[in-house]
Amino acid sequence: MGKVYITGLGVISAIGNDVQSCFNTLNSAKTGIGKAHFFHSKYTDSLLFGEVNLNNDQLVSLTDSSHEEGLTRTTLLAYKAFQEAIKSADLSEEEISSFKTGFISSSTVGGMSNTDELYADANLKGEPSEFVKSYGGGEHVLRIIKKYGIKGFTSTINTACSSSVNAIMLGARLIKSGRLDRVIVGGTDSLAKYTVNGFNSLMILSDEFCQPFDERRKGLNLGEGAGFLVLESDRVVKKTSTVGEVLGYGNANDAYHPSATSPEANGPRLAMKRALENAHISEKEIDYINAHGTGTVNNDETELFAFQKTFTKIPPYNSTKSYTGHTLAASGAIESIFSLISLNENTLFPSLNCSNPIGKNNEAPISKVIQKEMKIVMSNSFGFGGNCSSVIFKKTT
Amino acid sequence: MYITDLKCISSQQTYTDHFINGELNEIKEKTYLASEPNYLDFIPKGLLRRMGKAVRMGIGTGLPLVKKHDNIDGILIGTANGGLEDCIKFLNQIVEYDEGTLTPTNFVQSTPNAVAGLLALMGKNQSYNITYTNGGTSFENTLLDALLLFEENNAKKLLVGGLEEISDYNYNIDFLADKYKTELISTKDLLQSSTKGTICGEGANMFILEKEADKYLAQIIDIEQITYPTKEDLSLLLNQLLDRQKLSLEDISSIMLGYNGDKNHNTWYDFVGNDLLPDTDLYTFKQFVGDYRTVSSFGVWLSAQILNNSISSKHSVLIRKGKNKSTTSKKYHLIYNHFDAVRHGFILLSN
Repeated sequence: MGKVYITGLGVISAIGNDVQSCFNTLNSAKTGIGKAHFFHSKYTDSLLFGEVNLNNDQLVSLTDSSHEEGLTRTTLLAYKAFQEAIKSADLSEEEISSFKTGFISSSTVGGMSNTDELYADANLKGEPSEFVKSYGGGEHVLRIIKKYGIKGFTSTINTACSSSVNAIMLGARLIKSGRLDRVIVGGTDSLAKYTVNGFNSLMILSDEFCQPFDERRKGLNLGEGAGFLVLESDRVVKKTSTVGEVLGYGNANDAYHPSATSPEANGPRLAMKRALENAHISEKEIDYINAHGTGTVNNDETELFAFQKTFTKIPPYNSTKSYTGHTLAASGAIESIFSLISLNENTLFPSLNCSNPIGKNNEAPISKVIQKEMKIVMSNSFGFGGNCSSVIFKKTT
Repeated sequence: MYITDLKCISSQQTYTDHFINGELNEIKEKTYLASEPNYLDFIPKGLLRRMGKAVRMGIGTGLPLVKKHDNIDGILIGTANGGLEDCIKFLNQIVEYDEGTLTPTNFVQSTPNAVAGLLALMGKNQSYNITYTNGGTSFENTLLDALLLFEENNAKKLLVGGLEEISDYNYNIDFLADKYKTELISTKDLLQSSTKGTICGEGANMFILEKEADKYLAQIIDIEQITYPTKEDLSLLLNQLLDRQKLSLEDISSIMLGYNGDKNHNTWYDFVGNDLLPDTDLYTFKQFVGDYRTVSSFGVWLSAQILNNSISSKHSVLIRKGKNKSTTSKKYHLIYNHFDAVRHGFILLSN
């Protein structure tokens, strides 16, 4: 089996509109969570959000898409991150439109980010809106296929909050199988009344800054963003220095509850175990974990338990959701990109707002910026429906 | 990979043997609604009451297979929209109650991965679990993933399925986007229609796929898919698929095409059926169920019945008898389908 290299990254989140600015914010340990300026809802004033600091017009202009109608914010965020990813991988037009180049993305809210227009169109209230063809989960995928002339395999995954880790996983497998030479993988989600009200109805939103792995945590803050990684086979990679290697991945179902993890954390444990087996490494070789760490009572407790059962000594870990909020389908890709930043910069970033860690005896998350030489890192994403996935990256430089 | 078991809910009586034995539901409605079984035989009443139609059809077809077969190494579901009825119910609550206190049931059920998640939960299955929401090739995505899992030696047996529900809302949205006919037309006349648009159907088709099998209904050999192709792209893609299997166009003895009665869509099927593969037997399948984004899963269900010689001769499925004759007992059968001329998929099967 050949190797799968990462040759380009693109990201947009509450802490920055590209990879460099996200790194800068992580390195200064400042959160991007706060009052929303562009997202309008009854909860705009009472809740905190990880909102991308650009309005739709600015996104349109940054992505040269003013000629397109019915563009949702979900798609615009994807455009921005996709554009950065293929530029940083230095892909040519011919490479992008080769039959051997794929595109695998993910979204949970998709075009439903335009909640009010969807309400009107679905209930036949008035003339069709300009978004009438834009509500599907795979809408941004179709738009990107058209914009860039992608001819190879394409897919959209929705396993809720673990979606984009599964996109990375499928992409790597398609390269290993020889069906693809390169593939752009990731996900996108924007803030939407739909998800804000959904998570609110489950009573897992915090009205304060989320506190992953803290005793007093009250729930999550929703965020938005997009992240894409360019994966290339060792058969075609041109770059002499790559961002990293996709070393292993695991997917499991917790099979316990539609919206909560089992006390035994079976799904998270199996996902990590399968990823370690797939990577052919021992748990001792993991230098850092980017935890799922939503800040809900259930997730953090069960994830920490899964760490205790998986690792003889829990590696340094954090939740970068304390910077970006929970970006749902995009979180797996965004956090994989942050993991790769940590790996290449040899820098661990602190998990924010955790002054009373639930993990005792050296099991607390990273509390300050630390320089550390790393070789192998892991990123976890778990979602509703019991969907749990874990991915492992190795340094190549 | 081999289809060793299957379950189907469609607008025909496919959950039982009535359809394959020759009974036909002739429908002349705005939509071709599914003929649903009595789920209470195997889904507890309290649970069933809270299930939207997509979830209930998915569990209705998937759960009996999960319960019957041990050691399922993965659950792979393709659905463009999942539980859209629940989704819009929740949306309506958001707007009508001005984002007040809402109940989470509709929200949780509206996530398209609810079916794969519930099948894992109810079948106590912790294996690989994924949901594809890639519009008209969501089901093709699951088949390719299954093929990879077998190639990687990560699975021996998988549950794979495609499903879609009709809700008033998704019907309205697609209707506004000009996908459906304005006139009523019966199932038997649908494919002869000369107007634009098709009739919306729904259903769930679940398969047990095994890496090795002595007894099986059909073999799925390979899959290809493309989005916004030219006809030249489509032809290149088909040749790429056949090259990979060391086959040529002449080896294909039968094709199944997704003709759906939309005059604007025929050109693609004509191209594959007349220009690329003029000498094959030709089958169609949407005269029974209408069209929906994961309807190719019904195409695979019907193809498996045809390849296994289990479908009654009363059903007119064979549209054209071709010259291509297999010289061996092995017959290659190709399904070609697209939804709204956007996403196109090929599925190559054998008997």
